Amino acid sequence: MNDTRYSGVAGLMHEEPLLFERAHKAATSISLPGVEGDTPAALAGFARKQAAGIPGLSEPEAVRHFVRLSQWNHGIETGFYPLGSCTMKYNPRVHENLVRLPGLAHLHPDQPEATAQGALALLFELQEWLGEIAGLPHVTLQPAAGAHGELTGIMMIRAYHEARGDTKRRIVLVPDSAHGTNPASAALAGLATVEIKSGADGRIDLDELKAHLSDEVAAVMLTNPNTAGAFESEIVEICRLVHEAGGLVYGDGANLNALVGVARPGDMGIDCLHINVHKTFSTPHGGGGPGAGPVAVNEALAPFLPMPRIEKSGDHYHIVHEAANSIGPVFGSVGQVGVLLRAAAYIAAFGREHLHKIATDAVLNANYVLARLKDAYHVPFPGLCKHECLLTDEIQNHHGIKTLDIAKRLIDLGFHPMTVYFPLIVHGAMLIEPTETESKATLDHFCDAMLEIARDCEAGNVEALHEAPLMPVRRRLDETQAARKPVLVWQD
Amino acid sequence: MRFLPHTDADRSAMLQTIGVKSAAELFADIPAQLHIKEGSLNLATALHEAGIVRKFTAAADANRHAGNTRCFLGGGTYHHFVPAVVDYVISRGEFLTAYTPYQPEISQGTLQTLFEFQTMVARLLNMDVANASMYDAATAVAEAALMARRITRRHRTVVATSVNPRYRAVTRNYLSWLDGEEIEVPCTGFATDLEALIAAIDDNTASVIVQYPDFYGSVYDLAPLREACDRHGALMVVSFGDVSAFGLIEAPGSFGADIVCGSGQALGIPMGFGGPHIGLFACRQKHVRQMPGRVCGMTEDADGRRGFVLTLSTREQHIRREKATSNICSNQGLMCTANATYMTLLGDAGLATVAQRSAAALAQLVAGLPAHVTAAGGARYNETVLSFESNAVRDRFLKLAEERAIFAGIPLEKIDPDASNEHLLVATTEMIEATDIADYLTALEASK
Amino acid sequence: MSIPADLKYTKEHEWVRIEGDIATLGISDHAQEALGDIVFVELPEVGRKLAAGEAFAVVESVKAVSDVYAPVGGEVIEVNSALENAPEQVNGEPYGNGWIAKVKMSGESVELMDEAAYATFLEE
Repeated sequence: MNDTRYSGVAGLMHEEPLLFERAHKAATSISLPGVEGDTPAALAGFARKQAAGIPGLSEPEAVRHFVRLSQWNHGIETGFYPLGSCTMKYNPRVHENLVRLPGLAHLHPDQPEATAQGALALLFELQEWLGEIAGLPHVTLQPAAGAHGELTGIMMIRAYHEARGDTKRRIVLVPDSAHGTNPASAALAGLATVEIKSGADGRIDLDELKAHLSDEVAAVMLTNPNTAGAFESEIVEICRLVHEAGGLVYGDGANLNALVGVARPGDMGIDCLHINVHKTFSTPHGGGGPGAGPVAVNEALAPFLPMPRIEKSGDHYHIVHEAANSIGPVFGSVGQVGVLLRAAAYIAAFGREHLHKIATDAVLNANYVLARLKDAYHVPFPGLCKHECLLTDEIQNHHGIKTLDIAKRLIDLGFHPMTVYFPLIVHGAMLIEPTETESKATLDHFCDAMLEIARDCEAGNVEALHEAPLMPVRRRLDETQAARKPVLVWQD
Repeated sequence: MRFLPHTDADRSAMLQTIGVKSAAELFADIPAQLHIKEGSLNLATALHEAGIVRKFTAAADANRHAGNTRCFLGGGTYHHFVPAVVDYVISRGEFLTAYTPYQPEISQGTLQTLFEFQTMVARLLNMDVANASMYDAATAVAEAALMARRITRRHRTVVATSVNPRYRAVTRNYLSWLDGEEIEVPCTGFATDLEALIAAIDDNTASVIVQYPDFYGSVYDLAPLREACDRHGALMVVSFGDVSAFGLIEAPGSFGADIVCGSGQALGIPMGFGGPHIGLFACRQKHVRQMPGRVCGMTEDADGRRGFVLTLSTREQHIRREKATSNICSNQGLMCTANATYMTLLGDAGLATVAQRSAAALAQLVAGLPAHVTAAGGARYNETVLSFESNAVRDRFLKLAEERAIFAGIPLEKIDPDASNEHLLVATTEMIEATDIADYLTALEASK
Repeated sequence: MSIPADLKYTKEHEWVRIEGDIATLGISDHAQEALGDIVFVELPEVGRKLAAGEAFAVVESVKAVSDVYAPVGGEVIEVNSALENAPEQVNGEPYGNGWIAKVKMSGESVELMDEAAYATFLEE
């Protein structure tokens, strides 16, 4: 056992207490700028009576605290991160330098437009690029995340129907394989969700779809490729049917990595698409965010785009705040600018010549993993996949091993697990998305590990699987206790 | 391509393993008419890394910014000092390139940081609990309005117009798709009209939303509002634009607020032309199951050691789908890390200094104003409204100030379409030095 | 799997014990086992009028959430507030201390099964 009693560290393993367990310091470690002067008399009556209790560490202590904590994380820079539906790809380091240029980092959102033309030009260009890639030319950069983009898109679709006097369309059809954000976003926009069952191949069942289409359906929300990693080959017919029934098609762009530069959602008949730039265009996930979810739409929906938007007239870029039919703002500024700029840099690096290589290598990698694992693991929907492949634990169940055990064992073998138990349409789902920035060697190491796990199951050598993970700083955590008696803040 | 590791030999070997002859076969399930020709998209030609650096540097150099122009702009975004350590910590690949901590055993870094963040946010706002953040202040206010509707099962929301017009517009938008009404109560004198607000509360009111300090920087006593809310069973929602205020003035929680939400940008996040910033969100323990967004909780591992997990996830969309408390999925995780690092470096004492100097700078500016400019009166934190005799005088000053490397304020009508065009919203932080104030006042004199 | 003979069951896996015009409601042993460790029970308000088949409570485990539907119509006269601090009672004693609410019955009920019918239903 590592002995961390003295310094908190033994070898390179360490323990790190909470900030609040360290001594409070009266003085700050930072020397601050600013004017010397008394607190204004008018504020005296409002003075804070009790200090907040923020610990205050010296700079060296603070650095050590957070650097140690950082070492308890697995990141894409640390290792393979095949989370299905999450598109964890390498985040180019140069992007971190770009967004920290003073002329981009220290712009105030309300400084005069004429003094921010460089930033506006980059953002306008990104708007244009995203519209071109989606095949839907009108783009808002405002939504702060994919789910936020969904909400924005559904609001626009509802506004579109209402502007035509078509007020009884209050239903959104969502496949049972959809991300949970889809029904939640529809509900926030005041629309009811009806779930449509996937067909035996995991794709949308045209008959099931037809049975649900009516003059009350505002939209169908679909993800293409779907969350089982399969392309909806009937997409053109699906869109035609929905349009014929008077509805619109919302595209969840979470899986755009399979299509980028190869095919365009707009060409398929999709009316509205959000783009998770933190997935497809490689902006870092930051431990949960920030992301950004620009929405691209066709002509019919363009009048309803949220404001503000960036427009160009002559050589000048403007932030336009008002438009007659706009749904209004969904965010407090033009968008998550720093995230958007990183995405623009990723697109710029590939350019028109190479952009499709994102999709071709991503799809190649997913099919390679599928090919290597398909005999050892159950494949619920056989055939080629797109950018991610879906397996289940059906074979391993015979040995008492579940998806969760496989995931935890992968941690001990040096990998971040795949997405588990999603999509919900299969039992014990394992959704693997390797992305284009992984080498063949890494994929082989991962497949070798998965095959070893499968062999261990066959051999009944399952103790390590039940016990896993044994290697990281913590073993399986008691989520029941956390939820029953929530402790969300530290009490001294 | 420098981000794509495969050699052509790798690709051939992999295709062989898959059992197809070419990469094109992998896309055979996409109907032929949907395939676009390689290189046909109307995008720029590919740039190497040096070319990208050159392009972005040229764009950045074309802008004025707070590094070369004294920044008296606020309105929800403030130029506070960001210690280098904050930027270093959030540049660590382990924080920067991790996903949401769904596998807690290998995400304890993010999770413990979130727990520390939640604790410090709750303490700074003097609330019971805080979540692991919302996108920004505007969406946080909108989510607070929705949360209050769920808790009270009432559908009437009362909003003071002294709440930042952008927070109001987003909230109005979110509420407009649902049944119920949103009432906006006007204010006078660039301050919050508590009497009018209290008169607007009735027994059907879910929540009353105010900003404190308000959009115009005004600081006021929230106690009468708390009493009025109690009389009618309404929730008191307090928003804020510059959270640094609570290093100096009484926190919203001390007045008994039910939900407190606003921007955490002031705590170590550069202005960044509007984002990414962060929405802070705090509430009472008893309402925690109606709170939107992710939360991190403390627990134990299989060996009894302390650890942290995302918890209360049954509130969230991936489980509750259309019945979720919100559709929110991501948070502003990296910005939580920035906030936590910043607060740790400053501590109570540093936070108090930042607030005290931010307020003192405004007081010094106002004290030196020439006769042709008036400042909105009463208690103000670090922001106020300057009024000029005409639009022409104001704009003459803005132009002159800009020539002297000063962003002198935001024309009020730019953020608040209802405002007339002779006012400036002016904010100060600890980044404003005495000479900056002197230069500002000189420019005012010169533009009379 | 326990299925007491003195109770009636629904297809949504609620149980009901009828004594005079008072019905005691809970979720079955099968339901609690399928949900796993229960971490929270959202109880209805006393005095609330329920239609048969209406969702009146919510049972949550760490990773799942389930509405509880009223097997019978009527007015909620008592709730098991002990579950607020000890939701695990639903796991431990689904038919005893894990009861959720008592209803004074009026009106319709949903289709109810006896022990044997519910056992057959579970097998299917």
